[in-house]
Amino acid sequence: MKISYIPTMKDQNTPRMPEFPVRLLTAVPLCDGHDSAVTTVNQELIRQGFEIVYMGYHRSAEDMVRSAIQEDVAALGISSYNGGHIEFFKEVIQLLEKAGRNDIGVFGGGGGTITPDDVVIMKQYGVDEVFLAGTTFESICNRLIELYGNKKVVLQGVSTDTALGQMLTAVEMKLKDRPKAGKRSKAKVIGFTGPGGAGKTTLIDEWVRGALMENPNIKIGILSHDPSSISQGGLLGDRATMIYSQHDNVFLRSMATRGKQGGLSPATEECLQWMVSDEAGFDLVLVETVGTGQEALPFTSDLIDTKVLVLHPEYGARLQLQKILMLEVADAVVVNKSDWAGATRALEEVKRQVEMRGCEEIPVFTTKASEHNDQGVVKLRNALSV
Amino acid sequence: MSELTKIIEGVRKFNKDVETKVSEVRADPQQSKEILEQWESIQEKVPTVTTPTGLQLPRLPLPVIDEPGAIARYLHGEGLPGQFPFLSSAYAEMYLDPLEDSIPPEEPTRLFAGLGIPEDTNERFHFLTKNQNSHRLSTAFDGPTLYGMDSDSPGVFGKIGEGGVAIDTVEDMEVLFDGFDFRELTTSTSMTINGPAPAIMAMFVAAARRRFGPDVIGQLRGTVQADILKEVQGQNEVLFPLDASLRFLLDMMEYCVENMPKWYPVSISGYHISQAGATPVQQAAYTISNGFAYAEMMRERGIDVNDFAPRFSFFFDCGLDVEFMALSRVCRKIWAIAMRDVFGANSRGQKLKLHTQTSGRSLVAAEFKNNLTRTAAEIIMAYMNATNSCHSNSADEPFTTPSEEYVKLASHGQSILLEETGLFRHMMNGMSGSPGMKAVEKSVEKAILDELEEIERLGGVLGAMEHRYQRSQIQAASYRYEKQIFSGERRIIGLNRYSEGVEKPVPELVRIPNEQKQKQVDKLKDFKKRNADKAPAALKRLAEVVHSGGNVFAELIETVEVCSLGQITDCLQEHVGKFRPMV
Repeated sequence: MKISYIPTMKDQNTPRMPEFPVRLLTAVPLCDGHDSAVTTVNQELIRQGFEIVYMGYHRSAEDMVRSAIQEDVAALGISSYNGGHIEFFKEVIQLLEKAGRNDIGVFGGGGGTITPDDVVIMKQYGVDEVFLAGTTFESICNRLIELYGNKKVVLQGVSTDTALGQMLTAVEMKLKDRPKAGKRSKAKVIGFTGPGGAGKTTLIDEWVRGALMENPNIKIGILSHDPSSISQGGLLGDRATMIYSQHDNVFLRSMATRGKQGGLSPATEECLQWMVSDEAGFDLVLVETVGTGQEALPFTSDLIDTKVLVLHPEYGARLQLQKILMLEVADAVVVNKSDWAGATRALEEVKRQVEMRGCEEIPVFTTKASEHNDQGVVKLRNALSV
Repeated sequence: MSELTKIIEGVRKFNKDVETKVSEVRADPQQSKEILEQWESIQEKVPTVTTPTGLQLPRLPLPVIDEPGAIARYLHGEGLPGQFPFLSSAYAEMYLDPLEDSIPPEEPTRLFAGLGIPEDTNERFHFLTKNQNSHRLSTAFDGPTLYGMDSDSPGVFGKIGEGGVAIDTVEDMEVLFDGFDFRELTTSTSMTINGPAPAIMAMFVAAARRRFGPDVIGQLRGTVQADILKEVQGQNEVLFPLDASLRFLLDMMEYCVENMPKWYPVSISGYHISQAGATPVQQAAYTISNGFAYAEMMRERGIDVNDFAPRFSFFFDCGLDVEFMALSRVCRKIWAIAMRDVFGANSRGQKLKLHTQTSGRSLVAAEFKNNLTRTAAEIIMAYMNATNSCHSNSADEPFTTPSEEYVKLASHGQSILLEETGLFRHMMNGMSGSPGMKAVEKSVEKAILDELEEIERLGGVLGAMEHRYQRSQIQAASYRYEKQIFSGERRIIGLNRYSEGVEKPVPELVRIPNEQKQKQVDKLKDFKKRNADKAPAALKRLAEVVHSGGNVFAELIETVEVCSLGQITDCLQEHVGKFRPMV
């Protein structure tokens, strides 16, 4: 999508961002890798206070709709450049209708390849807005708040993606009179934390891939956190990397930290209560924190059965390791990116640290999560799944 | 540490050595005398040409210098056209009218085409080449093909044949180039494909073998883009995890080096990096560092630099920013120094051979006919950089796959520049060496070296990619670019300047009719049906080669005989995994 400038009248009544950030999902369709426009628009929307769940490029209509429902976004924004947009947007709208989710809006853009004539057709079948070449950032933001600033949720338990998605929204929006989660299920809950760049997201996705291969009926829930920015907006980008987690048996929710320090969101605990409730029916729930600092101890919740600290080899310097508090409470430590120079040394250092603290029983694993079917991840999964 | 440090030091040392040489020549009367004699003899050998108006001009104008130090600086620091470090050009003659009795050279115009089903694109190829003495075919593929998917995959119907041609099978590849004789020296083919490049290239080879017999393989001329590093950094057409993608690519490159002496198995591309939003300097730095990374990988496979280096080619974007006056010239110099001094390549391997495309990003939908002028300015700069071939964009590209009308205008733009104007046909260096160009060269060179240093600090090309460095830099530049358009700092005529503010009609749109799309699906289904009993065994053999560490490309040439692109992609993804995108 090319964005270009056309002088527009300053809006008289500029819409304001509501109390809680508007959540949008953005993506580029199947067989299209043109992400320059969408990443640029994402940056501006975040600056204006939107929470953007970004799925990346080359995404199918099914994946987009499943994600929009699980994330319970107000709308799905599609940036389409290389043609076929009339068919693609239509497929998305039909799938949303089929899922009974017409409440989730659809908007798009795509530069000059989407013509004004196309827009007429697309709006007829239900697209809310198409931002043509020439739309300013300002008018995009204003129009999106106007269209989607008044998000509503219907509470109907948590037994489907739609229901659970909306319940988590209710928790995030601190909806009054919301119900309390029911009895805890047998779901195993594993929390992953560690510094940014350690490869937590890839590790979880590789875990999910392996788990689904082994047991095609397993139901997995994931709460994945990314930081909110000072603007209150945030880029929630884990979905783009977690391609094997785009699966009907996997419920993935991206959460912004919304002002809370330490790696999780103020809503995490209550969301987790719902995720591990009998009604949600997951066998396994994975929680990923934001990239954390040395002093972070994110997993204070009793709901987390196993706390995993994920490090990359560059965290192997002794003095740095001594300062990582998580090492004292982790149930397992993973040195990921084991192919990097210095990985062996890092592993030795981590083991020494663990021993020095008298926690010899804490297992230390090495993984290369980016490698397909990495045996390190298999070992980790087998050790922690029991 | 990658070789980048040595390369950066090498270029700085080269510049220093040139200045040392300048001082030596000045201080030593004997050297002064020798270089003056050499200079005189160079001048004497330059033929004189007569223009249509009867004007006499030197075929190679030289700087007006007669001081030994200045001559040394020119000859050693810039080099004559076709001489190290190839600042002005890789070859001596480039676009000059041939002297009497010589064969007309290949036209540098190489237009990218691809639309609809193979039959449609084949027709476009014949249209584009009908007046050319050489047939330089350049193929654009549609979205499903670029992502290694079949036309009958769920959800792709609308994308079939849009923005490029749909290729599912070896049979499609036969149709695509029907009527072009690959045994002729005047035919060359270029394919813009990356993620699935090994499979598509295998179809190309297998289709040629079907049409002309096995001996044709050694005669095939052309390029396949296959640049997976820039895909991860900017263009996003990646099918397999990076390690596996690189292995498949290197298998293909190795096969080509051994069996296809006239083929360029990789086109190291800055175009898409630039189109994704990179600044010109970022484009140059990321692209040549990718080139060095490939060179290191080929060397690690034990292939001699003089076997692979001459087979690399480059592809740059040329936009309207002032850097483009000299960007490719500087890249040619840095590449030459690195290949000679760090990799030990011979003269052929030192030459950076370059395809240039004008900038799609610089074209706008508003008052789109202005795009003709933008592209015209860009082709002048592309030829000022002595590009070896060039694609000029059509003015209607912001809207559509180009229509014949605008393709013709784009192609003729280059012909007008090269054949009608006197800028390039009578003499070399007509546009080189001005103080302005030199200032840009100096400034750009420094900025590129600084950027290479940053990449090296992050652990070389692959290390920097692991840190998302190139991607985030490109995205930040793209955001700045858009901001500049909104603020008016970046002026775009008809858009944020001198806009008449009225809706202009859009050009005729090229859209592929559903019947054509269906025809492609039907052909594919028929192919799959006919080969249903043979495909599983072929895929099993392919998987065995993947696991045994054999050359996957050599096997693919056999697999494509009975398997479609999508079947091959699925099989490979099952065994090596899918790429997890970085965003």
